[in-house]
Amino acid sequence: MDSGLEELSATLYRMGELAHRAVLTALLECLNGREAYNEILEMSDTLVAMADHVEDKAFELIARFQPVASDLRTIKSYMKIAYDFARFGRYALDISFVNKRLGGLKNCEEWINSYVRDMGEKALDMVRLSIESLKSHDTQLAEKISAKENEVDNMYFEFLDKLIGRDTTTKCTVSSVLVVRYLERIADHATYICESIIYIATGQKEVLR
Amino acid sequence: MAAKFEIQGLNAWFGLKHVLKNIDIKIEEEAVTAIIGPSGCGKTTFIRCLNRMHEITPGARVSGKVLFNGINIYGNGVDPVMIRRKIGMVFQKPNPFPMMSIYDNVAAGLKLNGVRDKKILDAVVKQSLELANLWDEVKDDLNKSGASLSGGQQQRLCIARALAVEPEVLLMDEPCSALDPIATAKIEALIRKLAENYTVVIVTHNMQQAARVSDYTAFLYLGELIEYGSTKQIFENPKHELTERYLTGEFG
Repeated sequence: MDSGLEELSATLYRMGELAHRAVLTALLECLNGREAYNEILEMSDTLVAMADHVEDKAFELIARFQPVASDLRTIKSYMKIAYDFARFGRYALDISFVNKRLGGLKNCEEWINSYVRDMGEKALDMVRLSIESLKSHDTQLAEKISAKENEVDNMYFEFLDKLIGRDTTTKCTVSSVLVVRYLERIADHATYICESIIYIATGQKEVLR
Repeated sequence: MAAKFEIQGLNAWFGLKHVLKNIDIKIEEEAVTAIIGPSGCGKTTFIRCLNRMHEITPGARVSGKVLFNGINIYGNGVDPVMIRRKIGMVFQKPNPFPMMSIYDNVAAGLKLNGVRDKKILDAVVKQSLELANLWDEVKDDLNKSGASLSGGQQQRLCIARALAVEPEVLLMDEPCSALDPIATAKIEALIRKLAENYTVVIVTHNMQQAARVSDYTAFLYLGELIEYGSTKQIFENPKHELTERYLTGEFG
């Protein structure tokens, strides 16, 4: 049982690193105009395969050891976290697709580019915080995500408000709306991970959103 | 839900050995309560205190109150034989009376109480065996020896024998530990069925069995009640560190 859980957490750490790299690569691509779609596609596919592996392994542990108490909460949460990491990969790929299909934000108005960069940094910061919380199982650290999630949410709505006031639709406005939407979703999944960490430690289903 | 038992400050000793320490617990009616804990924690002693069987052992002693339907079974003037009829017990090793037929095993309690009417005996034997999910398997062999049955059938025969005297509570002390998985599954299904009309208290060292069959779980450790709650809560989110460590196999 213990060695099974260790294997699961080791896989999750690797997933966390890969997911962070995928989001970072997608953002850099989008903001600086480098084409990396195939690279990110591979990362995203790998994350999905790893999430499947975590689920299979977790299922096997349940069948073989009938875990209870914190072991059971850990296994359930690890399955969810693996899915959250796979979502990071998927949103990275979505961002990359926007870049591929509509062109990135490199040549857009300066304020759009820097707004998305700011929001992207905050979202990446949340991804890192979720990974750190997972590694340390530190609930106080995990709770810190709540304020950050609020900030990203507010930025998302504020951005929409800014664009609503304009009467032209351009490649830039469409791409940037999609990208901030994906960033907002990434922030949500980072928050779910932190909620799972608190659930593992306390059994309480705390809502940090 | 109403409490079938309300136990207050229960202590039990074997000679000088203090095996149960100040147990306070309410046991719900028409539900299954599992008692879990490592070997020697007092699980068996606890249920033997619930129908005054503990005191049968030489040197054994009890203090505190066991309110059964609101009446202290250790009170003055309470007849232990009457208590044991209302509160039946099924043991670890199936123990049908070996020289008796299946029929006589089930009818023994009634005959002992002076029932002689064959019609009544026939009806109770059939009803008890049906309730114990054994009737279909033995209805053509009622005159065969109880000892000729398989282990799982013998255990269901013992349950039928306990049910024949119309108890309100069944105490079960590791009723499946001598049985194979299929016989175990049958007994567990039977326990769930019985909980519709009876109060069941089961001692088990098989934690998964407790998780499968019980509505409430009590964890005993070194004679103390460490934690008691719904089985869902105990197995998903135990509040006490010791319960957590026992359930996840860190000791025990």
